[in-house]
Amino acid sequence: MNDASTTTSEKRPGVIHFIGIDFDFGALKKASPRYWMWVGILGMFVLMGLVAWATFLAKGGVVFNQRDGSPWGLWFTDYMYYVGLAAGGLVVYASVHLFGAEQYKPLTRIAVLQAGVFTMMALLGVMTDFEKPIRLLNMLISPNPTAPFVYTGSAAGLYMVLCFIDLWIIITGTGGEKLAFTMTLIALPAAVYLHTTTAFVLALNKSRELWHSAVMVPIFLTSATASGIAVLFIFAYIFQAVTKVRFKPSMFRSLATLMATVIIIDLFLLIVEIGVVFWPTSAQPGHTVRMIEFIAGRYAVFFLPVLILGFTAFTLLARRKTRHLPAVQLTASVLYVIAIFLKRYVLMAMGFSYTPLGQPTQIYSPSAVEIFIALGILAFGLLFITASIKVLPLQMPEDDEHGHGHAVDYDAEFNAETARLAAAEVEVAS
Amino acid sequence: MKRNDEPIGREQGAEDQPSTTLSRRRFLQGLGYAAGVTAAGVVPAVLTALPQATSAAEAQTAESAAAPGGEENALAKIIEEDQPVNYPGKPVWYAKDKPAGKEKWAMVIDVKACVGCRKCVYACVRENNIGRTSGFTYIQVLEMEPGSVDLETANANYEEGGRPDKWYLPVQCMHCAKPTCVYGCPVKATWKEPDGIVVIDYDKCIACRNCMITCPYFARHFNWVEPEVPKAEVNPDVPLEEKTGVVEKCTFCIQRTRTGGTTACTEACPVGARKFGDLNDPNSDVSILLKTRRAFRLKEELGTGPMIWYVG
Repeated sequence: MNDASTTTSEKRPGVIHFIGIDFDFGALKKASPRYWMWVGILGMFVLMGLVAWATFLAKGGVVFNQRDGSPWGLWFTDYMYYVGLAAGGLVVYASVHLFGAEQYKPLTRIAVLQAGVFTMMALLGVMTDFEKPIRLLNMLISPNPTAPFVYTGSAAGLYMVLCFIDLWIIITGTGGEKLAFTMTLIALPAAVYLHTTTAFVLALNKSRELWHSAVMVPIFLTSATASGIAVLFIFAYIFQAVTKVRFKPSMFRSLATLMATVIIIDLFLLIVEIGVVFWPTSAQPGHTVRMIEFIAGRYAVFFLPVLILGFTAFTLLARRKTRHLPAVQLTASVLYVIAIFLKRYVLMAMGFSYTPLGQPTQIYSPSAVEIFIALGILAFGLLFITASIKVLPLQMPEDDEHGHGHAVDYDAEFNAETARLAAAEVEVAS
Repeated sequence: MKRNDEPIGREQGAEDQPSTTLSRRRFLQGLGYAAGVTAAGVVPAVLTALPQATSAAEAQTAESAAAPGGEENALAKIIEEDQPVNYPGKPVWYAKDKPAGKEKWAMVIDVKACVGCRKCVYACVRENNIGRTSGFTYIQVLEMEPGSVDLETANANYEEGGRPDKWYLPVQCMHCAKPTCVYGCPVKATWKEPDGIVVIDYDKCIACRNCMITCPYFARHFNWVEPEVPKAEVNPDVPLEEKTGVVEKCTFCIQRTRTGGTTACTEACPVGARKFGDLNDPNSDVSILLKTRRAFRLKEELGTGPMIWYVG
């Protein structure tokens, strides 16, 4: 079968053509020692994670720091976080086809890969936390239709499969634009469904006052989109640094605008929620006692940085004249990726700071075993992406819209952009 | 040129550059899909509400069918609402030769009598093979401030013995008519039996702890360590090893009450503050207390329909 999208006609060594994709294993052989060192470090973390998981299976939950007061821990923080990071990829990918945002097109393959891998990491976290992992099959044998967990679990599983199918479709070009568009129609609702059901795991509990709020769902959607785009930024810049692929500065600029918009909506929803808790006509002791812990109590060290980092990231991206600078974009992205991780932890802790009987619980911090399992999963995900960068054809062939030479001078475009903005600034000043 | 057929004047060359703005039709299309997704996301929410809606309707018919003005009328509604949930059709394995009878079990606790001595807690630990190092008990007694039923100011770790200037509220699994834990279990490892007892199948539990999250009474506990019970004190009628790494809670002493006994906590109470019995029997202690005394339920506003009442 001759593949239309594969432009290289001569057979390169080490390339294996399988299910319509050229897996370039030869690139691994040519990879630099630095690449292999990075792979080695990741592999070591994966190994340590496996050892930690084995320790947990042998000794039981006692090796974790989760207790009855906070029955969920780092794995659940990570579940919410990774599922969220997966979203950004899909939003960018979907906007290409659904809303005709063609400027994001070069990013689609990385974006979809990111979505699939992060969902896989989220599911691995669930698997490695349950003391009876084999019994997870019960979820298939006797699923309970009233349990939110069933919906988010199955949604994550289906979503992951969907992402990898999607990646295959984009790379092979099967079905052309039409199928790619149809896939968006399936993938975008699936992404929204996944985040809604994940938020429902928290929001559908009348036993936990601060979770029991419908605003959880939009907060999950905005946090997910904003942090997902932030990670996409980071990946795109790394991808640029380690491969020959170059993205247009205008694409980054437009992505930065999108990210700033979503960040401010995200922070707005959070502040609205706090307002409802404390306003005299709506304040209830069950809510205020718990929320005060986060504003000025034991959890303030985790919660206040969410607001500070969030507003800093927004301010950085909101400034028109600096928004296009890679350093600004990267700083804002890193800040927001950290902010959302803290936010996930805080959201979880909001349900656990007091027991449903009003008794304060110990602050949860993960044990070494929990941390190593989490790092192992993170390393596994990164290893997957690291290998994909070399082996899979992740750059879009359409990148070369200026001809086949790789002499596209994006630096010139970048300089022109800077000059244009400087001129505009002078105009405003005068 | 096709462009000229557009009804609304568009700028020349607008289509030549890759569009960075949304066309209206595309945007509306997108909106439509988004609306569809939102609707799909609501499905689980609707499902959770369903059981409540159906049994409420059932309860109404039961009420109208009952004799008007009769004394049993008030309890009939409570009994009718207390239906099995996710019951697989046969009793849980550790009560396999003790199937549910016609009873509707309930408990009434007299908070005026309770002195906070925690005798019920210790009797329960011995009866139910609760690990001595597991760090939890089925029953928690809350020391309450006078003039308040506010849980946020209550103290579960008060000094042994209790004080006369406080009052005490023992809390355990309420065996709710609408048990959020049963609704929240992803694998149906926990259910409500026909006599109202909420049980856990320790062999089916996947250890996800979601039931502990959904329970408003903090009644469920996870065995983070292997339950440790001195050999001489092991109760052979209650599972022990099977509880390692899964969730457990009060079973209304299913091993005793299904064979005509009462719960260990009721038996142990030195002041007789606890009454356990059958709501279907109009002459049982609990039926008489509920009909003659002013009773309240903890967090009744949540609508879980607890089967433990407090009288003062």
